[in-house]
Amino acid sequence: MPTIAIVILVLFSAALAGVLVARPAITLSRAGKVLAFGVFFFLPLFSLVAGMENEMQRSESTAFCLSCHIMEPYGKSLHIDDPSYLAGAHFQNHRVPADEACYTCHTNYAMFGTVKAKFGGLRHLYIYYLGKPPLPENIKLYEPFNNRECLHCHLGARSFEQGATHNADPATLPAIKANTLSCVSSGCHDTVHNVGHWGDKVKFWDGGS
Amino acid sequence: MHPGGSMDRRLRISGILVIAGLLVEALCLVWSKPIAFVVLVCIGGALVGVGVLFFLCSLISAPHPTGSSGAAAGKQSG
Repeated sequence: MPTIAIVILVLFSAALAGVLVARPAITLSRAGKVLAFGVFFFLPLFSLVAGMENEMQRSESTAFCLSCHIMEPYGKSLHIDDPSYLAGAHFQNHRVPADEACYTCHTNYAMFGTVKAKFGGLRHLYIYYLGKPPLPENIKLYEPFNNRECLHCHLGARSFEQGATHNADPATLPAIKANTLSCVSSGCHDTVHNVGHWGDKVKFWDGGS
Repeated sequence: MHPGGSMDRRLRISGILVIAGLLVEALCLVWSKPIAFVVLVCIGGALVGVGVLFFLCSLISAPHPTGSSGAAAGKQSG
Protein backbone atom coordinates (compact mmCIF):
# COMPACT_ATOMS: atom_id res chain seq x y z
CA MET A 1 0.00 0.00 0.00
CA PRO A 2 1.48 3.41 -0.93
CA THR A 3 2.50 5.70 1.92
CA ILE A 4 -0.02 8.39 0.97
CA ALA A 5 -2.87 5.85 1.12
CA ILE A 6 -1.80 4.80 4.63
CA VAL A 7 -1.53 8.43 5.74
CA ILE A 8 -5.07 9.06 4.45
CA LEU A 9 -6.31 5.92 6.24
CA VAL A 10 -4.62 7.00 9.48
CA LEU A 11 -6.05 10.52 9.30
CA PHE A 12 -9.50 9.15 8.41
CA SER A 13 -9.34 6.82 11.43
CA ALA A 14 -8.28 9.72 13.66
CA ALA A 15 -11.11 11.89 12.31
CA LEU A 16 -13.70 9.17 13.01
CA ALA A 17 -12.29 8.72 16.50
CA GLY A 18 -12.53 12.50 16.92
CA VAL A 19 -16.23 12.40 16.03
CA LEU A 20 -16.86 9.73 18.68
CA VAL A 21 -14.84 11.63 21.27
CA ALA A 22 -16.84 14.79 20.55
CA ARG A 23 -20.20 12.99 20.50
CA PRO A 24 -20.01 9.79 22.57
CA ALA A 25 -23.81 9.64 22.60
CA ILE A 26 -23.56 8.13 19.11
CA THR A 27 -22.47 4.88 20.77
CA LEU A 28 -25.80 4.45 22.58
CA SER A 29 -27.40 2.89 19.50
CA ARG A 30 -26.45 -0.57 18.24
CA ALA A 31 -24.97 0.89 15.03
CA GLY A 32 -23.02 3.36 17.14
CA LYS A 33 -21.55 0.54 19.22
CA VAL A 34 -20.45 -1.29 16.06
CA LEU A 35 -18.95 1.97 14.77
CA ALA A 36 -17.12 2.53 18.06
CA PHE A 37 -15.67 -0.98 17.93
CA GLY A 38 -14.45 -0.36 14.38
CA VAL A 39 -13.06 3.08 15.19
CA PHE A 40 -11.44 2.29 18.55
CA PHE A 41 -10.28 -1.26 17.83
CA PHE A 42 -10.18 -2.40 14.23
CA LEU A 43 -9.13 0.77 12.38
CA PRO A 44 -6.31 1.85 14.74
CA LEU A 45 -4.77 -1.62 14.80
CA PHE A 46 -5.10 -1.99 11.02
CA SER A 47 -3.57 1.48 10.52
CA LEU A 48 -0.75 0.66 12.91
CA VAL A 49 0.10 -2.62 11.21
CA ALA A 50 -0.08 -1.00 7.75
CA GLY A 51 2.14 1.87 8.94
CA MET A 52 4.70 -0.46 10.49
CA GLU A 53 4.77 -2.63 7.38
CA ASN A 54 5.30 0.49 5.29
CA GLU A 55 8.15 1.63 7.55
CA MET A 56 9.72 -1.83 7.40
CA GLN A 57 9.68 -1.69 3.61
CA ARG A 58 11.05 1.83 3.60
CA SER A 59 13.89 0.75 5.87
CA GLU A 60 15.13 -1.45 3.01
CA SER A 61 15.52 1.46 0.60
CA THR A 62 18.88 2.92 -0.35
CA ALA A 63 17.57 6.42 0.41
CA PHE A 64 16.65 5.34 3.95
CA CYS A 65 20.16 4.01 4.69
CA LEU A 66 21.79 7.09 3.21
CA SER A 67 19.56 9.48 5.15
CA CYS A 68 21.97 9.09 8.06
CA HIS A 69 24.76 11.64 7.73
CA ILE A 70 27.37 9.05 8.67
CA MET A 71 26.45 6.91 5.63
CA GLU A 72 27.02 9.65 3.06
CA PRO A 73 30.49 8.43 1.95
CA TYR A 74 29.09 4.92 1.51
CA GLY A 75 26.40 6.37 -0.74
CA LYS A 76 29.07 8.23 -2.71
CA SER A 77 31.07 5.02 -3.08
CA LEU A 78 28.19 3.58 -5.12
CA HIS A 79 28.96 6.18 -7.79
CA ILE A 80 32.72 5.68 -8.02
CA ASP A 81 33.69 5.32 -11.66
CA ASP A 82 35.95 2.32 -11.18
CA PRO A 83 34.79 -1.27 -11.81
CA SER A 84 37.17 -2.62 -9.18
CA TYR A 85 34.92 -1.04 -6.51
CA LEU A 86 32.59 -3.92 -5.78
CA ALA A 87 29.69 -1.92 -4.32
CA GLY A 88 29.80 0.67 -7.10
CA ALA A 89 30.01 -1.97 -9.84
CA HIS A 90 26.99 -3.80 -8.42
CA PHE A 91 24.96 -0.60 -8.02
CA GLN A 92 25.80 0.94 -11.38
CA ASN A 93 25.20 -2.24 -13.36
CA HIS A 94 21.99 -3.09 -11.49
CA ARG A 95 23.38 -6.36 -10.22
CA VAL A 96 21.45 -5.31 -7.14
CA PRO A 97 18.20 -3.30 -7.25
CA ALA A 98 19.39 0.32 -7.20
CA ASP A 99 16.65 1.38 -4.80
CA GLU A 100 17.53 -1.39 -2.32
CA ALA A 101 21.27 -1.55 -2.90
CA CYS A 102 22.44 -1.51 0.74
CA TYR A 103 19.85 -3.95 2.02
CA THR A 104 20.39 -6.48 -0.79
CA CYS A 105 24.02 -7.09 0.18
CA HIS A 106 23.88 -6.33 3.89
CA THR A 107 20.87 -8.38 4.87
CA ASN A 108 21.25 -11.92 6.07
CA TYR A 109 19.84 -14.62 3.79
CA ALA A 110 19.63 -17.23 6.54
CA MET A 111 16.46 -18.03 8.46
CA PHE A 112 15.29 -14.95 10.43
CA GLY A 113 17.88 -12.96 8.45
CA THR A 114 15.49 -10.07 7.91
CA VAL A 115 14.71 -9.91 11.63
CA LYS A 116 18.42 -9.97 12.41
CA ALA A 117 19.00 -7.18 9.89
CA LYS A 118 16.26 -5.08 11.50
CA PHE A 119 17.76 -5.56 14.96
CA GLY A 120 21.12 -4.55 13.47
CA GLY A 121 19.42 -1.39 12.21
CA LEU A 122 18.07 -0.66 15.69
CA ARG A 123 21.59 -1.08 17.04
CA HIS A 124 22.81 1.45 14.45
CA LEU A 125 20.14 3.89 15.64
CA TYR A 126 21.13 3.39 19.25
CA ILE A 127 24.78 4.08 18.48
CA TYR A 128 23.94 7.02 16.23
CA TYR A 129 21.64 8.81 18.69
CA LEU A 130 22.76 7.61 22.12
CA GLY A 131 26.26 6.22 21.63
CA LYS A 132 29.42 7.53 20.11
CA PRO A 133 29.25 6.93 16.35
CA PRO A 134 32.60 6.17 14.71
CA LEU A 135 33.93 8.11 11.76
CA PRO A 136 32.62 6.70 8.46
CA GLU A 137 36.04 5.26 7.56
CA ASN A 138 36.19 3.43 10.89
CA ILE A 139 32.85 1.66 10.50
CA LYS A 140 33.32 -2.10 10.54
CA LEU A 141 30.92 -4.98 9.99
CA TYR A 142 29.75 -6.66 13.19
CA GLU A 143 30.93 -9.99 11.80
CA PRO A 144 32.90 -11.01 8.69
CA PHE A 145 30.91 -10.81 5.47
CA ASN A 146 29.44 -14.22 4.79
CA ASN A 147 29.75 -15.61 1.23
CA ARG A 148 26.15 -16.80 1.60
CA GLU A 149 25.03 -13.23 0.87
CA CYS A 150 26.99 -13.22 -2.43
CA LEU A 151 25.97 -16.75 -3.34
CA HIS A 152 22.31 -15.86 -2.87
CA CYS A 153 22.55 -14.32 -6.36
CA HIS A 154 25.77 -15.67 -7.85
CA LEU A 155 25.41 -19.36 -7.09
CA GLY A 156 24.62 -21.15 -10.34
CA ALA A 157 25.41 -18.10 -12.46
CA ARG A 158 27.64 -18.98 -15.41
CA SER A 159 30.06 -16.12 -14.79
CA PHE A 160 30.57 -17.38 -11.25
CA GLU A 161 30.57 -21.14 -11.82
CA GLN A 162 32.72 -21.05 -14.98
CA GLY A 163 34.81 -17.95 -14.24
CA ALA A 164 38.48 -18.48 -15.11
CA THR A 165 39.81 -17.26 -11.76
CA HIS A 166 37.26 -19.25 -9.78
CA ASN A 167 38.32 -22.43 -11.61
CA ALA A 168 42.08 -21.84 -11.81
CA ASP A 169 42.47 -23.97 -8.72
CA PRO A 170 39.94 -26.81 -8.29
CA ALA A 171 39.84 -26.11 -4.56
CA THR A 172 38.76 -22.49 -4.97
CA LEU A 173 35.10 -22.90 -5.90
CA PRO A 174 34.30 -25.44 -3.14
CA ALA A 175 36.10 -23.22 -0.62
CA ILE A 176 34.04 -20.19 -1.68
CA LYS A 177 30.82 -22.19 -1.43
CA ALA A 178 31.80 -23.50 2.00
CA ASN A 179 32.60 -19.92 3.13
CA THR A 180 36.16 -20.90 4.01
CA LEU A 181 37.54 -18.57 1.34
CA SER A 182 35.91 -15.15 1.61
CA CYS A 183 34.83 -13.37 -1.56
CA VAL A 184 35.62 -9.93 -0.14
CA SER A 185 38.64 -10.36 2.08
CA SER A 186 40.83 -12.80 0.30
CA GLY A 187 42.55 -10.42 -2.07
CA CYS A 188 39.96 -11.13 -4.76
CA HIS A 189 37.07 -8.65 -4.41
CA ASP A 190 38.41 -6.76 -1.44
CA THR A 191 37.80 -3.22 -2.71
CA VAL A 192 34.22 -2.76 -1.62
CA HIS A 193 33.42 0.77 -0.36
CA ASN A 194 36.98 1.64 0.65
CA VAL A 195 35.76 4.77 2.41
CA GLY A 196 38.62 6.98 3.59
CA HIS A 197 41.08 5.57 1.07
CA TRP A 198 39.86 7.00 -2.20
CA GLY A 199 42.67 9.46 -2.81
CA ASP A 200 42.37 12.49 -5.05
CA LYS A 201 42.15 10.73 -8.40
CA VAL A 202 38.87 8.93 -7.81
CA LYS A 203 36.15 9.84 -10.32
CA PHE A 204 32.41 9.60 -9.89
CA TRP A 205 29.78 8.40 -12.34
CA ASP A 206 26.91 10.86 -12.38
CA GLY A 207 24.26 8.57 -13.91
CA GLY A 208 21.81 6.21 -12.29
CA SER A 209 19.21 6.85 -9.67
CA MET B 1 -25.72 12.69 36.21
CA HIS B 2 -25.95 11.17 32.72
CA PRO B 3 -26.40 7.38 33.00
CA GLY B 4 -23.58 6.68 30.55
CA GLY B 5 -21.30 9.38 31.96
CA SER B 6 -18.61 6.98 33.14
CA MET B 7 -18.63 5.11 29.84
CA ASP B 8 -18.53 8.38 27.90
CA ARG B 9 -15.50 9.49 29.88
CA ARG B 10 -13.73 6.20 29.19
CA LEU B 11 -14.58 6.40 25.50
CA ARG B 12 -13.20 9.92 25.41
CA ILE B 13 -9.96 8.87 27.11
CA SER B 14 -9.43 5.88 24.81
CA GLY B 15 -10.39 8.03 21.81
CA ILE B 16 -7.87 10.72 22.72
CA LEU B 17 -5.14 8.11 23.19
CA VAL B 18 -5.97 6.49 19.85
CA ILE B 19 -6.09 9.87 18.08
CA ALA B 20 -2.74 10.90 19.58
CA GLY B 21 -1.19 7.59 18.50
CA LEU B 22 -2.60 7.88 14.99
CA LEU B 23 -1.35 11.45 14.63
CA VAL B 24 2.13 10.35 15.74
CA GLU B 25 1.93 7.54 13.17
CA ALA B 26 0.88 9.96 10.40
CA LEU B 27 3.79 12.26 11.25
CA CYS B 28 6.24 9.34 11.24
CA LEU B 29 5.01 8.17 7.85
CA VAL B 30 5.85 11.51 6.25
CA TRP B 31 9.07 11.95 8.27
CA SER B 32 11.78 10.21 6.27
CA LYS B 33 14.38 9.71 9.00
CA PRO B 34 15.43 6.35 10.46
CA ILE B 35 14.32 7.45 13.95
CA ALA B 36 10.76 7.75 12.59
CA PHE B 37 10.34 3.96 12.79
CA VAL B 38 11.33 3.89 16.45
CA VAL B 39 9.02 6.82 17.25
CA LEU B 40 6.18 5.11 15.36
CA VAL B 41 6.58 1.85 17.26
CA CYS B 42 7.50 3.19 20.71
CA ILE B 43 5.26 6.24 20.95
CA GLY B 44 2.59 5.83 18.25
CA GLY B 45 2.23 2.10 18.82
CA ALA B 46 2.16 2.50 22.58
CA LEU B 47 -0.50 5.24 22.47
CA VAL B 48 -2.71 3.28 20.07
CA GLY B 49 -2.16 0.07 22.04
CA VAL B 50 -3.04 1.69 25.37
CA GLY B 51 -6.06 3.41 23.79
CA VAL B 52 -7.36 0.15 22.32
CA LEU B 53 -6.76 -1.71 25.59
CA PHE B 54 -8.49 1.04 27.56
CA PHE B 55 -11.46 0.80 25.17
CA LEU B 56 -11.64 -2.99 25.57
CA CYS B 57 -11.37 -2.71 29.36
CA SER B 58 -14.12 -0.11 29.41
CA LEU B 59 -16.34 -2.49 27.42
CA ILE B 60 -15.69 -5.29 29.90
CA SER B 61 -16.30 -3.11 32.93
CA ALA B 62 -19.35 -1.35 31.46
CA PRO B 63 -22.58 -1.82 33.48
CA HIS B 64 -24.40 -4.86 32.10
CA PRO B 65 -27.90 -4.13 30.75
CA THR B 66 -30.62 -6.07 32.56
CA GLY B 67 -33.92 -7.03 30.91
CA SER B 68 -34.82 -6.69 27.25
CA SER B 69 -35.08 -2.92 27.13
CA GLY B 70 -31.34 -2.32 27.29
CA ALA B 71 -28.96 -0.23 29.34
CA ALA B 72 -31.37 2.59 30.09
CA ALA B 73 -33.88 0.20 31.66
CA GLY B 74 -31.08 -1.44 33.60
CA LYS B 75 -30.02 1.93 34.98
CA GLN B 76 -33.56 2.85 35.92
CA SER B 77 -34.16 -0.38 37.81
CA GLY B 78 -30.80 -0.16 39.51
